[in-house]
Amino acid sequence: MGDLKIEGTASTPEIICDYQAGSLKMSGDSYPENSFEFFTPVLDWLENFLCNTNTPVTVSLYLLYLNTSSVKALMDIFDMLEECFGKGRAVSVNWYYAAENERIAELAAEFKEDCTFPFNITQLEE
Amino acid sequence: MIKGRHLEETVEALLQDERYAGHPLRQALEDVYRELQDQLHQIERITRISDQYQSASRDVRLSLTERCRRQLKTLEKIIRISDGYQKLMRENQESLKDASLTDVLTGLGNRRRLQDHLHAESIRSGQDKLPLTLVLADVDRFKEINDTHGHDAGDKTLIAIARALQSGLRSMDICGRWGGEEFLIVMPELDAVCAYSIIEQLRMAMAQREIPLNDHSVRITVCFGIAQWRSEEESIEDALHRADAALLVAKRSGRNRCVLADETR
Repeated sequence: MGDLKIEGTASTPEIICDYQAGSLKMSGDSYPENSFEFFTPVLDWLENFLCNTNTPVTVSLYLLYLNTSSVKALMDIFDMLEECFGKGRAVSVNWYYAAENERIAELAAEFKEDCTFPFNITQLEE
Repeated sequence: MIKGRHLEETVEALLQDERYAGHPLRQALEDVYRELQDQLHQIERITRISDQYQSASRDVRLSLTERCRRQLKTLEKIIRISDGYQKLMRENQESLKDASLTDVLTGLGNRRRLQDHLHAESIRSGQDKLPLTLVLADVDRFKEINDTHGHDAGDKTLIAIARALQSGLRSMDICGRWGGEEFLIVMPELDAVCAYSIIEQLRMAMAQREIPLNDHSVRITVCFGIAQWRSEEESIEDALHRADAALLVAKRSGRNRCVLADETR
């Protein structure tokens, strides 16, 4: 199992999964036509990574707009992280947002509500 | 159950009673007693299993309810977050639209917004048979300000002029940057003579005002060309051309003045 890289488009985020570093990075808008098809490789990669390694995992998000099915996919990712964190795995999420888009921080906080693992919402420097 | 156990105790007492030790029906009683015990045992077993099933079924029911409750909670959360994103998109769209219609330097409406206003006001004026007057304003010797004091000073001048124009107009008037150092004022429900009176006062006030630049201040004058739209005989663009022609007359006749389009006929 290796890295996973999905190029970003106008409607889908760029996704970079680094196996060695234990990192998953998503940036851009997310409103894919077929959300299930789009996110399946990402969810599979994360599941395999969590099952086959003990490396700490860091998820970095630079997301702008998410449609409903992308919200669901992201919640699935957080559920997987929460389960592993409960079993003692080092897990963290860093959600970055631009100062002019402060509402995104509010939405990130909604996601954070049910997560017990470290979940940082950070304003990007100009 | 209680009756069954009561019967069992009664038969047991009879069997233990020494008075009936040699009774001819004792054997038959013992058989009944054993049969009774078997039946009671069976009933108890069935009841126990049934209780276990009921308890298991209750657990399944509770677990299903709990799972449904959790799924519902998740669904509510997805909808809440999703609604938040829809709102965010709408706001961004509105702010983009607003930005596309606003002049970045002065904060006034840009040419596109002014064109929208011109269109809307011309329709309203035509329907309600109300006068509509257009005023084009041009900053005098603006190129000199740019060349002498730099473009930064030129920008500051335009900002100051934009503020002065807005502060001297009625709340219903619409003022925007038409392009370069030119501004357009749309004055609904007002004829050219009344517009002239307002604009002339504004021109005089502006000519008296010092505009602070970097290390000094300057006095800037403005020319105005005024035309009332003749809705019966011309398009709104024609009225704009007449205001422009009046502005040119103002420029050519010494600057710092207001000229009514009708005076130029």
